[in-house]
Amino acid sequence: MSQIKSLLYLLPELFETLFEKVITVAYPFAPLELPANYTGRVRIEADLCRGCGACVRDCPAFGLELEKKGRDEFRLLHYPDRCISCGQCEESCRFKAIRLTNEFVEPSHGQRPSREVLVDHLPDEETDREANEDTPCAA
Amino acid sequence: MRELLSVLVTLFIFPGVAFLVACALLFEWIDRRTIARLQARVGPPWFQPLADLVKLLSKESILPRQADRPICTALPVVSLAAVLTAALYIPVGGRVVYGFEGDLIVVLFLLSLPALFYFLAGWVSVGIYSIIGGSRSVLQYFSYEVPFLMALSAPAILTGSWSISDIITQQAESAWIVLAQPVGFLLAIVGLIGKLKRVPFDIPKAKSEVVGGPLTEFSGRKLALWRLVVDIQTVAGIFLLVNMFLGGGDLTLLQGSAPLGLARAVTFSIKALGMLLTLSVTSVLYARLRIDQLANLGWRILAPLGLLQLAATILMGIG
Amino acid sequence: MTRVTIPVGPQHPLLKEPLSLRLIAEGERVVEATMRLGYVHRGIERLAEERSYVQNLHLLERVCGICSHVHTTTYCQGVEALLDLEVPPRGLMLRTLLCELERIHSHLLWLGVLAENIGFSTVFMYAWRDREIVLDIMENLSGGRIAHAVNVIGGVRIDLDSDQIDAIRRSLDELHGQVDDLVNVVEHEQTLKARTQGVGGASLEQIRRHCAVGPVARAAGLDRDLRRDAPYAAYDRLSFEVVTESGGDVWSATRVRVRETVESLSLCQQILDDLPPGEVAVRASRRVPEGQVVARAEAPRGEVIYYIRSDGSDSPARIKIRTPTLPALSMVRERLRDINIADVPAVISGIDLCVACADR
Repeated sequence: MSQIKSLLYLLPELFETLFEKVITVAYPFAPLELPANYTGRVRIEADLCRGCGACVRDCPAFGLELEKKGRDEFRLLHYPDRCISCGQCEESCRFKAIRLTNEFVEPSHGQRPSREVLVDHLPDEETDREANEDTPCAA
Repeated sequence: MRELLSVLVTLFIFPGVAFLVACALLFEWIDRRTIARLQARVGPPWFQPLADLVKLLSKESILPRQADRPICTALPVVSLAAVLTAALYIPVGGRVVYGFEGDLIVVLFLLSLPALFYFLAGWVSVGIYSIIGGSRSVLQYFSYEVPFLMALSAPAILTGSWSISDIITQQAESAWIVLAQPVGFLLAIVGLIGKLKRVPFDIPKAKSEVVGGPLTEFSGRKLALWRLVVDIQTVAGIFLLVNMFLGGGDLTLLQGSAPLGLARAVTFSIKALGMLLTLSVTSVLYARLRIDQLANLGWRILAPLGLLQLAATILMGIG
Repeated sequence: MTRVTIPVGPQHPLLKEPLSLRLIAEGERVVEATMRLGYVHRGIERLAEERSYVQNLHLLERVCGICSHVHTTTYCQGVEALLDLEVPPRGLMLRTLLCELERIHSHLLWLGVLAENIGFSTVFMYAWRDREIVLDIMENLSGGRIAHAVNVIGGVRIDLDSDQIDAIRRSLDELHGQVDDLVNVVEHEQTLKARTQGVGGASLEQIRRHCAVGPVARAAGLDRDLRRDAPYAAYDRLSFEVVTESGGDVWSATRVRVRETVESLSLCQQILDDLPPGEVAVRASRRVPEGQVVARAEAPRGEVIYYIRSDGSDSPARIKIRTPTLPALSMVRERLRDINIADVPAVISGIDLCVACADR
């Protein structure tokens, strides 16, 4: 008897599984529910940013850049295609200006600009780079 | 003229090619869906096997330079011809296209041809995975085919006739043969799993060992035909087993009766679906065996059981 | 008999990551095997020399996908030793919690991969269904399913409140029932045993010669586990058993790993019951004083060793990583000698490859 039982060992569990819910999630035909601390998109509270550059220095993917021309004249740039949503910028910021939200970042290929201006305190002048030009990798 | 039309309809529509292909795709869908649900997945929608077939038919067919192109093109076509012809002699729901004394032997022969062509496909499409898969499929063939043939000969010896329709009629008069020969029934199922190369006997096409087995180098229309061969072989095998052991379109277990054509078709479908579900469940229960373990199983357990079954049948017949 | 060369090449359904094996076979028997590595080499040790210590946290997390947290844990231990920092107990416990959750995740993933490679796709689906429970726990904890980024130099960056702890406990209880079912399947299911028992056996002497570590070594009888022998993080406060077997074959390795999963579940419950209050991290300075340090931890695959040398700046001078898959891979050639072709998937899956770890 135990021989037969061990020959059909999985059978009871198979029938249990038949009556349980499937584990497949119906994304993208069902809404995606993300927890509150999901690592998603980078957002900034522009008023709190002082342009200290700590986040720029600590970003492991070289995804942030600071153009500084004076104490209160700076522009903080973000390259979303390089962002790995690690949250180091949020850790490094002393003023709690930049933070990681749980917005899901859709994969894109050239459909969104590769450069995003987060904070702009420079007087109206062109920046040194074109809108879609990528910075050379620092290494 | 009317006769010609009737023959053409029978050959190509029902229960001929169109019906068999539709059945094959339906059975493949039921099989995949059952396996998926047993594994806590959703499974493909109903049109998936048809979509796979159409997609493969529309793709380019590339073969290695050293492969023998004419033979590689002919092999799936000939295999398909063999299984379709075999299916024509198997009664479906009580109706049979052509039946004669000895058609069981013809059916068994035709159903075992695709195994040979499978091996040839591996041999001729020169590639290391194909050759290894091909040699494994031959080893496997000897392990399951002998018990299968013995199990399917036992009902014929029991009823004294080698015509499938006669066997069905005799079951309708007395009892389903599965009650008299349960061991034979189990052997036939195990043999069918080996013939269809389903888990645990999918050794020639083990993905993690020989990538694709004998069919590794096939693609496009040739691969579509090979897949259709496997599906139609499933249908033919299931129909054969239902007819031989479960009484075909017969309704009651013990007493004979002659229900209407529709009732017969419905009972036949239910029995065939039951067999298909058995095949699906067994392919989810086990891991894949090794070829030497299969040879062990085949020659040490299955073949002696088959011999016992045959001997018992013969002795019962004499006594 | 003629010898044929079977490529289990860089692309093969058996391998999750590229690795080039050439099996020389006569009929169904494999006679010799040659191997080439390096397909996933990314030069991480060199890249680490050009980034600061803070940036390296995230770089080194991506050495391996499955043992990502253990790599950062070892790295942080090394840097904290150089900085002479003491991580507060709550931070250590949270680090350990995630280490054990990662071990459960890795073993469940591996069980599924082994089952799929021997043709048992049902156990593959079941093990990965249970893996989803662990991934959901880790996502609720840290925000990421595989890349957690929980460690910072000086502690961790997350904290748990009582609601989260209750939710994690409930999920762990559910997982415990499922893992017990998987343990029973491994112990009793006939076809799984038939494919893995007696296959790819390694003797204790071979293990010692190749310096193999982890469940592969414990399956051959080597009673060594860094969590007990050289406790790091919060392991000196926790009690658990080190699982060993004596067969050395793939079935013994499977049993070791599923029983280790049960032990990890009990460790997680202990951590959640005993979480001390307090801070989770201390501030660390950016410049690390000169020195060199060796840090070790027990990854799901064995002992991982980090050697860090600093020259006083905010960027390391040298980081050298010894991952546990390397000695296992050096043993693969011997294990693949004189076995059936059909046993090759079991053997290769049984050593729990992580080629990304080995190639760095």
